Amino acid sequence: MIEVRGLTKRYGDVVAVDDLSFDVEQGLVTGFLGPNGAGKSTTMRMVLGLDRPTAGSALVHGRPFASYAEPLREVGALLDPGSVHPGRTGRNHLRIAARTNGIGDRRVDEVIDLVGLTGAARRRIKGYSLGMRQRLGIAAALLGDPRVVLFDEPINGLDLDGVRWIRDLLRQLADEGRTVLVSSHLMSEMQQTADRLVVIGRGRLIADATTAEILRGLGGRQVRVRTTHLDVLTARLRERGLDVRPVDDEEAHVEGSSAAEIGDLALTWGLPLHHLSDLEQSLEQAFLELTSDSVEFHGAASEVAR
Amino acid sequence: MSSTTLSPARVLGRTCRAEWTRLWTVKGTWWFTVVATVAMVGLGLVAGNDAAGDVVPPVGEPAWIAPSFAALPTQLALLALAITAVTADYATAGIVPTLQWTPRRTTLFAARVLVVVGTASVLGALLAVASGAAAFSMAPDVLELPLDEGVDVVGTVAIVFCAGAALAAGLGFVLRSTAGALIAVFLLVLLLPLVLPQFRYEWMVDLASVLPGTGAIFLLTGESIAEDMTRTSATLTMACWAVGALALAWLRLVRDDANR
Repeated sequence: MIEVRGLTKRYGDVVAVDDLSFDVEQGLVTGFLGPNGAGKSTTMRMVLGLDRPTAGSALVHGRPFASYAEPLREVGALLDPGSVHPGRTGRNHLRIAARTNGIGDRRVDEVIDLVGLTGAARRRIKGYSLGMRQRLGIAAALLGDPRVVLFDEPINGLDLDGVRWIRDLLRQLADEGRTVLVSSHLMSEMQQTADRLVVIGRGRLIADATTAEILRGLGGRQVRVRTTHLDVLTARLRERGLDVRPVDDEEAHVEGSSAAEIGDLALTWGLPLHHLSDLEQSLEQAFLELTSDSVEFHGAASEVAR
Repeated sequence: MSSTTLSPARVLGRTCRAEWTRLWTVKGTWWFTVVATVAMVGLGLVAGNDAAGDVVPPVGEPAWIAPSFAALPTQLALLALAITAVTADYATAGIVPTLQWTPRRTTLFAARVLVVVGTASVLGALLAVASGAAAFSMAPDVLELPLDEGVDVVGTVAIVFCAGAALAAGLGFVLRSTAGALIAVFLLVLLLPLVLPQFRYEWMVDLASVLPGTGAIFLLTGESIAEDMTRTSATLTMACWAVGALALAWLRLVRDDANR
């Protein structure tokens, strides 16, 4: 379990992480979401003792990470797959990690096989693709069979097969009772993988709930309805206090209701319906709504397009 | 998934083993070692050849003079080795995984300094023996290899390389830049001790006399710009620089963010 309490990091006048508190529970995949510059990587670095917090604390199983004598057996982390000496072979990179924690070379070869780098392990890292470096970083993280796993954007650079492998790996690690914290900017990926989400923006906590709760709680329920009597249906639904947004002459989205309720009402009023369905809220939509006030770096493309 | 309690000494031992593997699994270490070997043995051969071909052969001279002088330029190769052993982690951001594997920063610091300084000192001593033997092999009828002088010279080379490597490693940790540390070491160990006295200003001579390179030159060759310099004062000068650099290095590593 990871406990983050009042974690704050300032760089001069810039507040990168602002009084952040949340827990990462074991046995679950917890997604760590936020726009660029939200403070996700800084938070992970502070959990790992790489950066000193200005205030607050981050504990792994009740202790600071830096207090562990064999940290690889407690926390396996992948932050930046490019943070390796390019002149060293992948296997030697892992052997160094193994020796710091008293892990034998046999385990090194095991994790090399596990991540599918057997053929490249004795080649210098400078010849590795981004995906291969990602796999090497994951191998290092799994070396000590850790109780806690932290991955920062683990599917960057991976092909479709690699993405599926990571998805299965994260699920397997959580099912084995480990604590899994994974950051990603790919919302669809998080929607498929994460049991729980911690969403931050401008260093502050925006949401900390299960993925289902976040999907349910944002934007509410929506219904898509098509009818040739849209004017009448819209007027009657609005009389009942429902928010109706016409899409075209025959279609509208109704907020705060369900397809079953709208169908019953239409039957009561004798209005024919050509289409009726519940609209599924996507995590991407929920994320954009949650972080709309917290995006630090906006693109200029939309301005140009106008 | 298990957690065990280990003594700090055992953790340090493991970290030293990892640092040893880290040092010898990059080509740069081997290249610097080859350069140091070629310089030390090559200068030994040249010195022996000169002695053999001298119009008035220096009969009975110890061959150990060769490594004493050869160590002056050779030390730069091993000091560069010490610097890159520290700064490569910052240049590649490899300090991030390094501190994940060894988050106890004082342990990492101690292990890296022990391995790097130990390697430079032992290599220096071995190369001094090889240099003396190379000189003797070129003029066996002229030069001698007295054991007591050999122990003295080899020990002195080891001390000079030890203090120099400690200074270099410390500057590497403080500056976190290969180029910056190389320039600083080059200035402190070689350039300023030779250039400052040439200006003949008293304060420049005084400044040069407390530089680590001046102490190294005196210990290796017996030559000094300061009349009152002794082996003890030269050793102390070098030790102060080494300890000072390591103290600053430890503070920077322990207090600052990993690589920002």
